[in-house]
Amino acid sequence: MHIPDGFLDSKTAVATGLLAATGLGVALRQARLHLPPRRVPLLGLAAAFVFAAQMINFPVAGGTSGHLVGGVLAAVLLGPSAAAIVMSAVLIVQCLMFADGGISALGANIFNMGVVGTVGGWAIYYGVSRTVKGLFGCVLAATFAAWCSTVMAAIACAGELATSRTVGWWVALPAMAGIHMLIGLGEGLVTALVLAAIARARPELLQPDAATGPVRSCGVVVVYGVLIALGLALFASPFASSWPDGLDKTAEVLGFKQKAVGPIVPVPVRDYRIAGIHWSVLGTSIAGAAGTLVVFALAWSLARVLVPGAKADNETSPRQAP
Amino acid sequence: MRHDFLDRYSRLHSPIHRLPAVLKLAAALAVVLTVVLLPPSRVVLLGAVSASLLAIAWLSRIPWRFLVRRVILLEPFVLGAAMLALFQPGGWRLFLFLVAKCTLCLLGMVLLSNTTTFSDLLRLLKAARVPALLVTTLSLMYRYLFVLVDETQRMKRARLSRTFTPQRTWAWHTMATVVSQLFIRTSERAERIYAAMCARGWR
Amino acid sequence: MSCAIEVRDLGYRYGEGTQALQGVSFAIAVGECVGLIGPNGAGKSTLLLHLNGLLPETGKGEGAVRVGGTPVRTDTLHEVRRKVGLLFQDPNDQLFCPTVFEDVAFGPRQFGLSETEVRERVQQSLAKTGLSGFETRAPHHLSVGEKRRVCLAGVLACDPAILVLDEPTSSLDPKGRRELKELLRQIRITKLIATHDLELVVELCSRVIVLDGGAVVAEGPTVDLLSDEALMLRHSLERPHILRHLHPH
Repeated sequence: MHIPDGFLDSKTAVATGLLAATGLGVALRQARLHLPPRRVPLLGLAAAFVFAAQMINFPVAGGTSGHLVGGVLAAVLLGPSAAAIVMSAVLIVQCLMFADGGISALGANIFNMGVVGTVGGWAIYYGVSRTVKGLFGCVLAATFAAWCSTVMAAIACAGELATSRTVGWWVALPAMAGIHMLIGLGEGLVTALVLAAIARARPELLQPDAATGPVRSCGVVVVYGVLIALGLALFASPFASSWPDGLDKTAEVLGFKQKAVGPIVPVPVRDYRIAGIHWSVLGTSIAGAAGTLVVFALAWSLARVLVPGAKADNETSPRQAP
Repeated sequence: MRHDFLDRYSRLHSPIHRLPAVLKLAAALAVVLTVVLLPPSRVVLLGAVSASLLAIAWLSRIPWRFLVRRVILLEPFVLGAAMLALFQPGGWRLFLFLVAKCTLCLLGMVLLSNTTTFSDLLRLLKAARVPALLVTTLSLMYRYLFVLVDETQRMKRARLSRTFTPQRTWAWHTMATVVSQLFIRTSERAERIYAAMCARGWR
Repeated sequence: MSCAIEVRDLGYRYGEGTQALQGVSFAIAVGECVGLIGPNGAGKSTLLLHLNGLLPETGKGEGAVRVGGTPVRTDTLHEVRRKVGLLFQDPNDQLFCPTVFEDVAFGPRQFGLSETEVRERVQQSLAKTGLSGFETRAPHHLSVGEKRRVCLAGVLACDPAILVLDEPTSSLDPKGRRELKELLRQIRITKLIATHDLELVVELCSRVIVLDGGAVVAEGPTVDLLSDEALMLRHSLERPHILRHLHPH
């Protein structure tokens, strides 16, 4: 998902650069305030760890192999701000030393994978693991969050490509989101396996209580939330508002001039598109929601397998804080 | 495991290597910006940039094969993403233009990373007032990349030599165990590094 | 002061578990080179970490340690770490900067020296360890022996009064070992060497402390103790070959 140079136009590059700089800035400030000195080397080492882990091949059908991204894994093990720094460091080194991900797209890549994927993914992990307690809850939450983070990052990426008019949004979204819904399954599976293995060997590593301060830093949560929402608004809203004419466009391109079914809600003003919910948007949303539920169910089963005797386990409930 | 897979030629001696790092970084950024902002009509300018990059490549004495291989390694992603652009009216021209732009930028960045040592780049970042925590993280990451990749290789080999079931069935579980072990060892190593830093007066 | 290191009744327990050290007491005079030997798990590394205040973590200490007359306490750590140079077992843990120069310069910089002084110190230390010209090299391109010498240079650049080494010859090939031995022989400051390399102890150390199960079980002149076969075997060690030649039985 590393966007190379030349795919983003200047306005998108600048916008994502600002979002990334802000997100990373917040994370650095959080770490400076709350990270105990003895964990400082851990950031650098964890970045090297993520890089090394990303190089491992997980064989998939017929010679291809999948790779771990590790955003949610890092967030579970280190806390969201530290993980954001770690993932950004990995992306920076990949960009500067490997030309993997363009330097003009560094902002976008950091925003997508370091902020949306990592912090957004952590938020989902936090929510689920507070509801379902214990190690079972932790593994379940992490698996589901890893899948979500992959998809969310992909959607942001597709949005940026579309806003730059490099790729038509009606190709970008299905291609990116669709493929990453599958890739996300692998990410979820590996995250689950790794966390379960760590929990067996060194359970105390799953409780980074010293990594970040207690929950009173609500302000930080708000800032992260605003950033992600802003990003999604900037890059994902074209999808929401333009689905209707996009489908027409596809129809035009493919040679069918027929108009699709009209909007469900009568539009008061012809050009006020946001009010008109086209059936395709509804259809896609339902499909997306259904897919998400299916993945959640899969994550649940996986966690049951990996954490035997799960439900009764309430003592090892990992504590998390932003 | 080759320990120089990251910056194999960054310590050669050539007119380009001897240039100050800030100049090389600025040049790379200039190339990328020019190429990225170029409208499809300015083919001549694109040609001029290509010529300059090739000249720099020649002056830097980095082996041709290596440069070509590195660029080719990254092309699949470029091609894959660019193919999505085909689904538009006038897609073919856009596709070719995209691929050309990307390849040039790739070449520019590959040249940068192989003519500049990472520690020079870090010094630049520090001078640019990038937060110390981030610079330290990048510094340690770079330093221990090779150590960890080595450890991963060794663990993989050790695991695989004790695996008799068909590779793929157990591979995911094995690799996940390798990753978990790597993390555990990494956090232990981080503690030791912290101790070493304190031993020499770090606060 | 005639005592470089003074340890009195040192004890340490890991978490809720093993008692790693109990009632350890010894003294090392200025200029001495003392060997610390014992089986794996005896507590040698744990003991060394107490000499520059890395252990105990706040509020867990038992006993007292003094280096160069300064008691090792939370408020004297910075001073203590100027006096004691600790060389860790794994050079990879101690060599954490992107270039050799920066790593050797790390200590002097932390202790607040000016850039010119830092540069001087680095050059001197690299010269002392036979690594002049290595300034711009990257650590991952060095051999284990070279890494160890860089770590030693980094420690010497801090101008310590006492050198404490944890397994300095482990993983070294014979040439690397010889070079390090010569180097250590030339560095004339107080040294405490924890090692399994009994030949090294015989060649460099005048006195030896035997640690087993977290306690000092014997202390005395090197040749006498190491020739005592029964003592050696009792503590999972053995009489080094070099002494078999000197004292054939």
